[in-house]
Amino acid sequence: MTVLAPPPTRPPTPPPIAPGDLGAFVRQSADAGELVVQPRMGMAGPGDMARGVAAVAALPERTVATLTIDSYTRVGDHAAATAALRAGRPLNGFPLVSHGPRTGAKVAAAAGRGTPVQVRHGSADPMAIFRTMTAAGLAASEGGPVSYCLPYGRTPLAESVAAWRDSVQFLTEESRTHGRRAHLESFGGCLLGQLCPPSLLVAVSVLECLFFVANGATSVSLSYTQQTHPGQDAGALTALRRLADEFLPPAVDRHIVLYTYMGVYPKTVQGARLLLRRSAELAVRGGAQRLIVKTETEAHRIPTVHENLTALRIAAEAARGAHGTRLVAGTDAEDTYAEARTLVTTVLALSDDLGTALLKAFDRGLLDVPFCLHPDNRGAVRSTVAPDGRLRWTDLGALPLLTTSRRTVPMTSRQLSGMLGRVARAHDRLGETHPTPDPAPPATPPPTTAPLRVAFAGMGPRGLSVLERLAARCAEERPARPLEVFAVDPYEAGAGRIWRTDQSPWFLMNTPAQEVTMFSGPADDGPHRPGAGPTLGEWWAQDDPAAAEPDGYAPRAVYGRYLTYVMARIEATLPSWVTVHRVPARVICADRTREDDGPDAGAHRLRLDTGDVLTVDRLVLATGHPLTELDPEQRAWQRFAREHSTPARPVRYVAGGSASEMPLCHVPAGATVGVLGMGLTFYDVLTELTLGRGGTFTEGEDGLLYLPSGKEPRILAGSRGGVPLLTRGANQKGPEHRYRARLFTPERMAELRATGAPLDFERTVLPWLLAEVNLVLLATRIRRFHGTAAAEEFTERAVALLADRSDPRPRLLEPLAAGYGYRVDPRPLTGLDALARPFAGRRFGSTAEYHKVLTEWLRADLAEARRGNADGPLKAAADVLRDVRQTIRSVVDFGGLTPDSHRWFLAEFGPVAAMVSTGPPQLRSRQFLALLAAGVLEPVGPGARFEADPVEGRFAVESAQVENSWTALDVLVDARVPGTDLAADRDPLIRGLMVDGEIRTFTNAAEGAGEFATGGLDCTDAPFHPVRADGSVDLTTHVLGIPSEHTRWFTQVGSGRPGPWGSFTRDADAIAEALLAGGAA
Amino acid sequence: MTPSARPQSLRSPQPSRRVLLTTGSSDAHTWNLVHLQLLLEEHGHSVLNLGPCVPEQLLVDTVGMTDPDLVVFSSVNGHGHQDGLRAARALRADERTRSVPMVIGGLLGISPEGASTRAAELLDAGYDEVYADGTPPTALLRRLAGLDGACRGRAAA
Repeated sequence: MTVLAPPPTRPPTPPPIAPGDLGAFVRQSADAGELVVQPRMGMAGPGDMARGVAAVAALPERTVATLTIDSYTRVGDHAAATAALRAGRPLNGFPLVSHGPRTGAKVAAAAGRGTPVQVRHGSADPMAIFRTMTAAGLAASEGGPVSYCLPYGRTPLAESVAAWRDSVQFLTEESRTHGRRAHLESFGGCLLGQLCPPSLLVAVSVLECLFFVANGATSVSLSYTQQTHPGQDAGALTALRRLADEFLPPAVDRHIVLYTYMGVYPKTVQGARLLLRRSAELAVRGGAQRLIVKTETEAHRIPTVHENLTALRIAAEAARGAHGTRLVAGTDAEDTYAEARTLVTTVLALSDDLGTALLKAFDRGLLDVPFCLHPDNRGAVRSTVAPDGRLRWTDLGALPLLTTSRRTVPMTSRQLSGMLGRVARAHDRLGETHPTPDPAPPATPPPTTAPLRVAFAGMGPRGLSVLERLAARCAEERPARPLEVFAVDPYEAGAGRIWRTDQSPWFLMNTPAQEVTMFSGPADDGPHRPGAGPTLGEWWAQDDPAAAEPDGYAPRAVYGRYLTYVMARIEATLPSWVTVHRVPARVICADRTREDDGPDAGAHRLRLDTGDVLTVDRLVLATGHPLTELDPEQRAWQRFAREHSTPARPVRYVAGGSASEMPLCHVPAGATVGVLGMGLTFYDVLTELTLGRGGTFTEGEDGLLYLPSGKEPRILAGSRGGVPLLTRGANQKGPEHRYRARLFTPERMAELRATGAPLDFERTVLPWLLAEVNLVLLATRIRRFHGTAAAEEFTERAVALLADRSDPRPRLLEPLAAGYGYRVDPRPLTGLDALARPFAGRRFGSTAEYHKVLTEWLRADLAEARRGNADGPLKAAADVLRDVRQTIRSVVDFGGLTPDSHRWFLAEFGPVAAMVSTGPPQLRSRQFLALLAAGVLEPVGPGARFEADPVEGRFAVESAQVENSWTALDVLVDARVPGTDLAADRDPLIRGLMVDGEIRTFTNAAEGAGEFATGGLDCTDAPFHPVRADGSVDLTTHVLGIPSEHTRWFTQVGSGRPGPWGSFTRDADAIAEALLAGGAA
Repeated sequence: MTPSARPQSLRSPQPSRRVLLTTGSSDAHTWNLVHLQLLLEEHGHSVLNLGPCVPEQLLVDTVGMTDPDLVVFSSVNGHGHQDGLRAARALRADERTRSVPMVIGGLLGISPEGASTRAAELLDAGYDEVYADGTPPTALLRRLAGLDGACRGRAAA
């Protein structure tokens, strides 16, 4: 687990995606079919700037906020910028360097967590700006060694290339160090803004992004500026995208950004709006994902915030109107692609170093920007607006292109100004006849857009699963109302109490890491986000490659860290209309606001242990494992320990719950410890008292050997069956494997329930389950000797034999299986007890004899486990119980069984099923054997009885089936998982809700068949609303997970599975869907 | 490097003048400069175009070396007022360039407000004329035509 290697030498991991990552945000928006819109905006004062940023972020559109830097800062004249600030003189942008990183960070924070902030500057030497940016926590900028040098200044190109090389390296590395991913946008798609044929713009954009990548960037955007002809422009965007995919490494995140026309701008409001709208439509048609807008006052002055907001909204509206009008590539795209590709490959061939190649290219005129005055630009090329409106070369200079166009006469100033103003005039004219109305007023949001407030009481795996689906749904489709989520959990959000990240590394999960996921879909090329993220195994391998065993079982603390990662990813990728607040507190009481409380009437009012009160519209109860009151026997034991403990000989009773919360470190070395229960918690206790005490396991000739540290206590374990859980079979199935039942089918069970509910599980349901288990058991045995075809043949024959019977007795399969020869054991299992209770009714003359038999039994079980869960007949059969768990639930949940049968099911079937199908990995069973052999672990025997012995003044344990097994105990550890019993729940929230009648326990009652008070929370089927004491349903509350145990079966599942959604994810999604639907009402 | 050596205007009755075309030290725009150069050249004048982002010292040194008939300062980035003041002060502070005629025009502030105050300041700092945004370029031609005396210096440009 411990990684000693210093961070810099860690193998490359994908950059962590911080909140506000520009690339991730744009990609996510594109996935949602929305164009990101962004202004240019820069004010001198931090207050004004922050207000501008906040206003952009507050728009309902998908926006990126901008800090546009002033011209003094851009050219490195920070003294002039600072002087202007002091004198109160206006500046045309935000002097980031003069203000410094702290002010910069504050201003950027006005965007909130969800809206990325980009610094736009135009500097040929951006180092000072990048330094201030990164110190302010910003990671997105733009420019390029060519595009911010040649057109815009007099810095020699060589200096600009060198400065950009250093600056990009600085920005990417510094950002990475701070857990951010730098984003760089090439300004190459603009150059002089006008009169440059598209191929050169496209080529420079691609080359600059390659330059960024060569210097460490992993997230880039390629730009293009709207020119004079929509068809040519859309073709250019297509060409740009193709070239980006062709030349950029696949792992580099990229998108296309379009700039609204950068030349002489229409003077009329209507003309300006028309041009803006056309640029938004072009963006959609050409497949750009982000648009940088111009305002209607562009021609006259630096726009105000309000004018920028108007422009953003007009653009977003136009983009939505153009949705789905993706262009099919045509000759425009082909022409530009071919020319641009030639330019790019010519430059790349000049040198292995792209910076050097760019310098050579301009020196030789292989790249040459028309009308550019820079001394390092050859200035031999000319271009024009052709009569059809397209931009054309008129003089190629030394460009490596072939063209049919001929050299033409030089352009006059009148022609030039005619061409420069052409777009403006045309749009001013058209704008008059085709006016664009003002966008709908953003103004004060109407009451219906007040956010829907949702509180999660508990943010462990179950709460997180709902939040994940909620966020995924919101990213796919914008909900009717914004959403405000409060994740209330006194423990770390995501991990919660059980999966705390600071627990002992010895506690392992019980499911292989690769079968665990909290994302509702597999990771894709994009950033990890709700609906698309890694499994625990995938994440673990990347997070801690030295220690990870993705196909093994992860420590619970590792899963805790994964859960907090999922939480962080959800927060980092939230669309702007969802906010999530972490509230590190416990809800201690919930009630409703009064009916006369105005708009909040009837809302949930949650009082927190911090003293705060939260008012919310929806409540999700996901409180997880309960802390229950001790039962009378447990209370008596506790009192007994207190009364009989002396300093010389302490007597302790350690109550149940999670092993990580037990004060096991207080158990003295050499003390005699009784452990009540031999389930998963027993293994945690066992591990903590041995490995956790410094003992080690080593491979011996005959299995594992335990080398004690001398600090161990003597551990006496006892349970009803006297055996540990059966070992989990070695996994031979892929993480997405699903078994399709043939006899115990969901359809058959649905029919049984529909016609016969309430059912008797033992009589009606269990036979079919056993038949399915035997089907797999026998087929696997047959496959071993006769191959797959024979096994399939057997399965078909067996299904045909049993499917139509009302009583599918296992014995019926025996003659069928016997037909496959003497090597196949044809005997089916007649019941699960045969597996789970091997020593039922058996007596042992001594503890030694019992230990010998137990060792043989567990060794045999281990041998079965090694044969695997696909090839080993017994483990394959046991796996059926896991695979059909959901079908069992469909029969049992929400009162599917008679009260008596329900009681039997929980008391008898549940533990047996757990014995057979929830067991630990082989390592744990091997350790069990080693500890047994070492004398550290002494299982007591079947039918173990623990008691307080008043004569001895200590606890004692004895097995009814092992002679002379009585032993006195100093410490009694209760390793049973407390059952769900709301009436005994110590959680003040649950108690209060019970007292108020807002929730009730589920009582299974059938006419004339008695009652069974389950103790679990009574709730409806999906979306799982609690039922009040008076029988009414609380439609604004949802309950998920362990509190609803008994009403539903086997809710102690803390993770989803990769592949098709299981009930864990489906349940979460049902609640998410209901929350959003409720918000629309 | 520049669109120079264009045909002399056929209608160019006035004497040819030597014009130094410049902009503010923070102004990256060039289309105004390209256009003015073409226009002035078409009308028979010779132009030295300093391009974008001209530092004051470069301007002073170039004026000192070339002794133009007129310095034309064109700016559109909104800093023209501040940059123009600094340029004028630098030119006026240097012995060699103290008396060179100079004019300024373009989009000189970030908003139209205060234009007249700005103009007054610029005139005060030493500009002979301040052209508001939107002034037709013929005004510049007239200014050139109205310059006193013969062409300054040798035919350097």
